Amino acid sequence: MRFHKLLLIVILFLVSCSQKAPIYEYKDFIFGTIVDIKIYGETEEKSENISNLIFNDFKRLHNYLHPWEKSLISSMNNAIAAGSVFNVDDEEIIRIIQDNKNLASKSENYFNPAIGKLIALWGFHQELPNQMVPKAHQINELLANVTTMDDLKINQSTLSSANRNFQLDLGGYAKGYALDRAKKILANNGVANALVNIGGNIIAIGMHGDRSWIVGIQHPRKPSAIASIQLPPGWSIGTSGDYQRYFMDHDKRYSHLINPRTGFPADNSQSATIMIPPANNSGALSDAYSKPLFIAPEIEKLQLADKLGIDFFMVVLANGDILISSKMNESIQWLEQNNEKNITVH
Amino acid sequence: MKKILQYIKIIKLGDTFVIVTFMSLIFWSVSQSWNMPSGQYLKIENNQEDSKVFSLNQTVNKQVIGFLGSSEISIAEGKVRFVKSPCTKKYCIHHGWINKINQTIVCLPNQITISIVGDSESYDTVNY
Repeated sequence: MRFHKLLLIVILFLVSCSQKAPIYEYKDFIFGTIVDIKIYGETEEKSENISNLIFNDFKRLHNYLHPWEKSLISSMNNAIAAGSVFNVDDEEIIRIIQDNKNLASKSENYFNPAIGKLIALWGFHQELPNQMVPKAHQINELLANVTTMDDLKINQSTLSSANRNFQLDLGGYAKGYALDRAKKILANNGVANALVNIGGNIIAIGMHGDRSWIVGIQHPRKPSAIASIQLPPGWSIGTSGDYQRYFMDHDKRYSHLINPRTGFPADNSQSATIMIPPANNSGALSDAYSKPLFIAPEIEKLQLADKLGIDFFMVVLANGDILISSKMNESIQWLEQNNEKNITVH
Repeated sequence: MKKILQYIKIIKLGDTFVIVTFMSLIFWSVSQSWNMPSGQYLKIENNQEDSKVFSLNQTVNKQVIGFLGSSEISIAEGKVRFVKSPCTKKYCIHHGWINKINQTIVCLPNQITISIVGDSESYDTVNY
C-alpha cells in the first residue's frame, strides 16, 4: 500500500515535470502570404483575441499599402502618374514615406521603393507573373530617368513628384512594418512571449519558455532548412530570395528583386538573410535591408553591410557559395550535412 | 539444460509450424515499422477550416478543398507531396516530397499548406 502511494507521487511528479506552458498558434492569409502567430504562456482565449487584433491590423495595412490593388498608395500613384498633387490627411502614411526615404538613401537606393513601374513592367504587379522578359527599350526608357524616393516631395499633407514615372511600391517594407505593429499590439496587451511570421519575415517577442525562439532558415534550392538560429528577444530576421516570386525563361531565372541600376532582376544571389537587434523599426529594417544585400554586386555587399550596421547576415550566392558575417557564423547551426559548402566569413 | 532438451523433444510438427509462422510475422512487422518515422505527422491547413493531422504511416491520397478548388496530396510511407493542384504554376507539385519535421510546402494560390509536424521540433518557425 505504501509502495502504491509512493508510485502515485512519483507519477504525479513526472507528469508535472513534463507539462509545458501552452503555445497557441494562429494562421491567416494576408499580404498575399501566410501570417503565422505563436503565443506562449497565455490562455487560449487571450491568445486568440490578440491574434485577431493583429490579423485585423494587418488586413488594414494590406488595404492601405497595397501597390496595385485599390489602396491609399495606389490612389497616390495614380495621382502622380496623372501629374497632379495628392492630399493625404494621414500622419501614418507620411511617417512611412519619410522612413522609406531614409532607408532608400542610406542603402544608396539599392532598396528603392520608388520603382513600382519597373516592377510592374517585369510582370510582378499581379498575383501570377507574366513570365516574359520586357523589351530592352521599355527597360531603358525607365532606366534613363530612374525614379527614387527623392522624387517624392512632401509639402505638409500634399505629395507630388515631378517625375511622373514615380510609383511607390512598399512590397519590400510593408511586411516588416507590420511586424513592428504586431510588436506594439502584443506589448499593449501584455503578451510577453510570441513569435510572428509574415511570409518568412519574423519578429521574436520574449522567449519560448526558458530558451530563445529558434528559426529555421530556408535553403534557397531545397525543400528544407539550410540552418537554424536563435532569435533573441526583440530581434527580427528577414530574407530576400529568388525562389518565391520568379519566373523561368530560356532556363534563366528572373526574380521579383529588380536591381534599380540595371533594370534587371538581380542574379548574383539566391538569398540574403539578415538579423536586426531590438529597435522601434527592427521589423521594417529586417525587411528593407535584406534587399541591398541581395541585389548589390558581391564586393559592395560587404561595404553596404558595414555602412548599414548589419552585423548579422548570410548571403547564398548564385553559385551556392555562402558569404556570412562572423557574428552570424558564431550563432548559426548548419542543418545541411553538405561538406561541399564553400563558406566565406566576413 | 536437460529440461530444455526435454521440452524440445515434445515439439511436434504442428508446433514448429505455429512457431515459425509467428516468428516470421514478428520479423515482418518489425522490419515494416523499423524505418517508419515515429512521432511525425502530416498537418494539412486550408483557408476554410481548422488544420487536420494525419498519420504518415500509410499510403493514401487525400483531397483538400482550397481557395481555387481541390488539391490532391499523396502520403506514401513517411513522405508527402502535392500530386494535383488547380493552381496555374504548380510550384507545390514541383516541390516534390517532404519527409522531415518542419518541412512545409505552401500552395499560395490555393491557400493550402502541408507540413510535417512532430514532437522533436528543431525550430519554431521558418524564415524564407
